[in-house]
Amino acid sequence: MTPAPIVRTRGLTKRYRGTDALIDLDLDVGPGEVIGFLGPNGAGKTTTIRLLLGLIRPTSGTAELFGLDCRREAVAIHRRVAYVGGEASLWPGLTGAETLHLLGQLNGRVDVDYREELVERFSFDPSKMVRAYSKGNRQKLILIAALMARPDLLLLDEPTSGLDPLMEQAFRRCIHEARERGQTVFLSSHILSEVEALCERVCILAEGRLVDIGTMAELRHLSALTVEASFDGVVPDLSAVPGVLEVEVIGRSVRCQVSGPVAPLVRVLADAGVHTLLSREPSLEELFLAHYGRSAVRPVADDAGTAIVD
Amino acid sequence: MARLTTRHAGRSAALWGAVFGIYVISSAFGYASSYPTAAARHALARTFGADVAIDSIIGPAHRIDTVAGFVAWRSLGVLSILGAVWGLLTATRLLRGEEDAGHWELLLAGQTTGRRAAIQAVTGLFVGVVVLWLLTAICTVAAGRSPKVGIPFGPACFLATAVCVGALVFAAVGALSSQLASSRRQAATWAGVGLGVSYALRMVADAGAGLGWLRWITPLGWVEELRPLSSPRPLLLIPLFGLAAAVTSLAVAVAGRRDLGVGVVEARTRRHPRLALLGGPTGLATRLALPVVVAWLASIALTGLMLGNVAKSAGKALTGTPALHRWFTFMGSHGGAEAYLGVGSIVLAGLVALLGSGQMTAMRTEEAEGRLDALLVRPVSSTSWFLGRVGVAVSAVMAAGLVGGVTIWAGAATVGAGVGLPELALAGVNLIPPALVIAGLGALSMGWAPRRVSAVVYGVLAWSFLVELLGGVIRANHWILDTSVFHQMAAAPAVPVDWTSDGYMTGLAMVCGALGLVGFRRRDLTGS
Repeated sequence: MTPAPIVRTRGLTKRYRGTDALIDLDLDVGPGEVIGFLGPNGAGKTTTIRLLLGLIRPTSGTAELFGLDCRREAVAIHRRVAYVGGEASLWPGLTGAETLHLLGQLNGRVDVDYREELVERFSFDPSKMVRAYSKGNRQKLILIAALMARPDLLLLDEPTSGLDPLMEQAFRRCIHEARERGQTVFLSSHILSEVEALCERVCILAEGRLVDIGTMAELRHLSALTVEASFDGVVPDLSAVPGVLEVEVIGRSVRCQVSGPVAPLVRVLADAGVHTLLSREPSLEELFLAHYGRSAVRPVADDAGTAIVD
Repeated sequence: MARLTTRHAGRSAALWGAVFGIYVISSAFGYASSYPTAAARHALARTFGADVAIDSIIGPAHRIDTVAGFVAWRSLGVLSILGAVWGLLTATRLLRGEEDAGHWELLLAGQTTGRRAAIQAVTGLFVGVVVLWLLTAICTVAAGRSPKVGIPFGPACFLATAVCVGALVFAAVGALSSQLASSRRQAATWAGVGLGVSYALRMVADAGAGLGWLRWITPLGWVEELRPLSSPRPLLLIPLFGLAAAVTSLAVAVAGRRDLGVGVVEARTRRHPRLALLGGPTGLATRLALPVVVAWLASIALTGLMLGNVAKSAGKALTGTPALHRWFTFMGSHGGAEAYLGVGSIVLAGLVALLGSGQMTAMRTEEAEGRLDALLVRPVSSTSWFLGRVGVAVSAVMAAGLVGGVTIWAGAATVGAGVGLPELALAGVNLIPPALVIAGLGALSMGWAPRRVSAVVYGVLAWSFLVELLGGVIRANHWILDTSVFHQMAAAPAVPVDWTSDGYMTGLAMVCGALGLVGFRRRDLTGS
């Protein structure tokens, strides 16, 4: 018999005046899973999490955590859940240490040793007043406050917004540790790399609907790279190279998607005398436009690119 | 930048100018119809002319046997305070508030310096004051043209100027405090304290205790001495404009010298952890509210002490007054110090209610700015948070009422005014129910219309206050008078406390609070 799901929604819908924020979400998350929730801005990710936390009421459908109704049994549920949001709203007049103490008292349980370790790991200075912290530091504060409770379920909504790459690594280490301890993690993000690195299963939301769901292996088209190369001489024909999809030639440059091993493509490019080479992950908007053909999805700024060779 | 602040300031100035205009018009026509004969007007003048109680609250009455004199007396006292409050709140919002919200960074990243930006913002503010003046003047002139009222054009404009110059001065003060303080709330508080001190000085000066010279050290005293429509002294406008100009220049100079986003007086950024009261949501609410509540209690204590101190001499002046006038029959005066304190109690009631309104607005702000999320995602029930926070507000209001009553006694005891502590303690308790009603309405709004909490509590408060100050004298219909929460409160210690009425008010407050809780539990959390 499969273990009871930690998160279970059936037909979960939230309608605001004039907007459908979430439509008919059916979701099951088992214990110990690390599940990713992907989607562009406005897809309904934050709405889902707020519904699970009981902060808002569903228009129709049900949402249950640990088998308890999210709205009616919110207090009992929250004893086993920790939440990290992307916008840290805290009390400017308290210091970091005071805030951690307060949030620990409210949680009802704190692993004090782990809290100290987290403060070290995130290089966090708890003696400053909250109003003096930068956005990144405020984000660290709420991350520590959530992780220190060792909750059975972590609900994370863009938890690394404002964090520098070092802290992003520290965060990933924490999630790995949580997974090893058997904690369930629900990670909502619009950062593809983070979800890829941490999650076993991924749900994709667009415009309030669940568009796709599966393991990273099943959704392997998510791991395609976008490659842009420019040439001094003749632009080679890339359409025959294994793993290459969607070739687009613009003057002396070519843009293509490649999935799987990149060695064949790199060999062809090197032989043709490539001048500059740029490779980056496709943004979610590009993926959606390519795979789901939704012209209504409005493009958002691309993630920063990474130049390999100049 | 000037256009931005002009638009913001102009919009609220237009609203307030309309309110001022309506107030002036209703004063004029109300008086004209309530006291149509010369005999009635002389009787009024005789009674109020020696009424030290009202004198100290809204200023002395000059020539109120004429429509012009009466309108000037009523308008100046009330509207100059309201104008000053508007001025300092708008100034701190447009200068400090906008800066803190980060809007100025975009502008200052361009071609402006801090100084020039401040000049432009101040210009916008000035235009707002002009709009306020314009609307007040238009209404005053329009009312003046009616044969029943009969105020000529020039004096009508002078009245409008006298009413609005307080707004000008305190807008300048707000601009300066915006430069010195490190947050908008701090700036508004400091400017508000300045206004409070100016008002207190004038109040004491007018209480007939021989301290008339105090009038000359407070700008509100100068405003009073302008005496529009009775024996006008326009030359006193010069020091008032001069003060406004000087303070504004200082504000602009400081703006040029400081860093963006930081006040001249820097706030601390680091300290050892102080863990008191951080054990639960109600403890947190208490700790956050404590500094504000303590400051309010101190102000109420000071006001109580002053009222008590002045009661004896003010009361002496009142004892000889014939208790014929309708206004006194509202109160049924014992005469003497109690009568004075009965009137003074409305000021204290207003302060206690203001404290309650502030607390309810702070409750909504916790939700609007997202901090409530941090509490409710943890094992904290929304019911316990709501009740705890309302409990803190109610405790603050109750403490304020008691403090008011006790400090009046303390002030009166130092001059031997002979009013007993039990009587005054009960008078203090009597101040609480109107504030509870307003807080209850705030809780109701919090449950069903959360974005309107601030408008509801401050709106009911302002309306009640205006009705009290104007309605009684122009013999307004008792239905209108009943809409004021202060009207339901007996003016203790001048009359015995009306416990039935207090009971009804407390009951109403509790019902509103319960309904508010029901609404809060069933609704979604909403941001600003």
